Amino acid sequence: MAVQISDEHRMIQATVREFAARELLPIAADLDHNPRFPADAIARAAAMGLMGLMVPEEYGGPGLDPLAYVITQEELARASAGFQAIVTVNNSLVCDPILRWGSEDQKRRYLPDLVAGRRLGCYCLTEPTAGSDAMALRMTAALRGDEWVLNGTKLFVTNGVEADLCVVYARSEAAAGARGLSAFLVEKSFPGLRVGKVEKKLGIRCSSTAELVFEDCRVPADNLLGERAAGGKIALATLDGGRIGIAAQALGIARACLEESAVYAQQREQFGAPVASFQAIRWALADMATRLEAARQLTYRAAVLRGEGRPHAREAAMAKLAASETAMFAAHKAVQIFGGYGYSQDYPVERYFRDAKITEIYEGTSEIQRLVIARHVLGRR
Amino acid sequence: MDIIVCLKQVVDPELPVRDFAIDPSTKRQVRDGRPLVISTYDENALEVALQLKDAGGARVTALTLGPQSALGDAVRLALAMGADEAVVVDDPRGPDLLGIEKVGILAAAVRRVGRFDLVLCGCESADWVERAVPPLLAEAIGAACVTFATRVEAADGGLLVRRMADDGFHQVEARLPAVVAIASDEGNRPRLPKVKDIVAAKRKPVQTWPVGDLGVPSVGEGALGVEVREVVVPQRTARCEFVEGEPAEQASALLRRLQDLKLL
Repeated sequence: MAVQISDEHRMIQATVREFAARELLPIAADLDHNPRFPADAIARAAAMGLMGLMVPEEYGGPGLDPLAYVITQEELARASAGFQAIVTVNNSLVCDPILRWGSEDQKRRYLPDLVAGRRLGCYCLTEPTAGSDAMALRMTAALRGDEWVLNGTKLFVTNGVEADLCVVYARSEAAAGARGLSAFLVEKSFPGLRVGKVEKKLGIRCSSTAELVFEDCRVPADNLLGERAAGGKIALATLDGGRIGIAAQALGIARACLEESAVYAQQREQFGAPVASFQAIRWALADMATRLEAARQLTYRAAVLRGEGRPHAREAAMAKLAASETAMFAAHKAVQIFGGYGYSQDYPVERYFRDAKITEIYEGTSEIQRLVIARHVLGRR
Repeated sequence: MDIIVCLKQVVDPELPVRDFAIDPSTKRQVRDGRPLVISTYDENALEVALQLKDAGGARVTALTLGPQSALGDAVRLALAMGADEAVVVDDPRGPDLLGIEKVGILAAAVRRVGRFDLVLCGCESADWVERAVPPLLAEAIGAACVTFATRVEAADGGLLVRRMADDGFHQVEARLPAVVAIASDEGNRPRLPKVKDIVAAKRKPVQTWPVGDLGVPSVGEGALGVEVREVVVPQRTARCEFVEGEPAEQASALLRRLQDLKLL
């Protein structure tokens, strides 16, 4: 059954759409051409409550459900996928695990600042030798007195340059794989942590992607997030939510492709008629619209299940797989519909094309999503 | 200061032209199935009210008239933006009434709200482009009236109002109570509600008054001297003329042509 959105969801959607129109659309192309962190727009997003959408009122947030979250993320990504990447990481990968596994003290210490934009968060899982095989990560955490000492390097950290609170996964136990990992809340100012190489990227260029280097980084013992050795579970469960946020990002990119293509196809005339009158273009638009709607329903469904506290790893993987491949498909079609203009930076679709690709890669590649889904199909979780 | 802001819900003026239709039997715009929004200048009026609230404290009541079922969004948005309470006058005919018909109902509703120093309205409705309501309402409730205002400040127990004029702006003083009609200006661009306030808006008080309870005699269209005879969608025709000659000749020919057409 199709997921229906409520009047409140619609009003939140309209508000965030207007926010994106006012604050993001005018700067989105420039943020891509001249990559920089959109500090002013992020501050205004924080004032609207967009940096911690699911954080309950007692910690300063609006306490939205995951479906409302998905709706907001699609609207932001429709205008600027790079901007939305900054926002979704703070929401899904930082606020969310603190809410779920943080101590009361950790919640009070960090959540109000993350919501208000006084702090920005990042999520540190991937390492040079541990990408899709994340549970093989090598960063070490050793308990010395009342401090953990972290050593290792994290790679491809979204918000890595600007973030001042890092959710870090490290090997604290002798056990191999997921059972040997713990999660830590590491402030950027803790001694022994520095930003390494900053990536130059194909897309989502206003969000920074950096290497973070931990050299005898000292973390107070009470900044352990959740139980000791629970890091693997926290990392994977957090990614279930993160994938829904990335699915929403992909929906936004796909919708941008569809909407821009529909406008252009009605304006552009060739052979004496708008190209929208040609069947080749109509079929492309129809396929884009159909895949977008299907991916949106999968994403909404995953969000509703998460909101109800029901299992949703399979649905989140399906949502991200379908939505990210839809974004890539729609971007491919959009550039083709625009023809030579689609290849030019004068029009936004080449940006959508470059932005779309990341959704098939980060927070689990399409191949990893298929692996997760297949495990459920085969009954081997 | 107690402020009442009158909000009309209209079919979203941003909708594509193909979604615009007129019902020939009622001679009114078809609203069914189309998204409704707060009329453009009414939102500016709400923003002015909220700025007065921010500046020196005010209690802001959003007042709206129409079928109760269709007014949820306008009321909720007004409350989310910062209005303290809302009053809905439930009248299925509300949106279709002409200004002159609706003023009696609005005046009765304003009196029933009771405490008010200032009533703010948009300077015209986005659907009928009607500008009669604010002055008529001021007359009906015995208040001062300022039209085409863009900024309002509280000053010396009255108001200091900036109003648009052909040659710039006029700064006028008004006594209270007053009805002020608001035009748009960069200083009164409607704020976006915070997400938290959208969620919290459902906890703010909303009163619904059936229009019959206001004791306003129903007047049929035409009884007040105004009736709508015909409503048509204008047919646009386009024609192209070439202005021939050397550039200097073209310029003077173009000037003459534009003057003939009374465009200059």
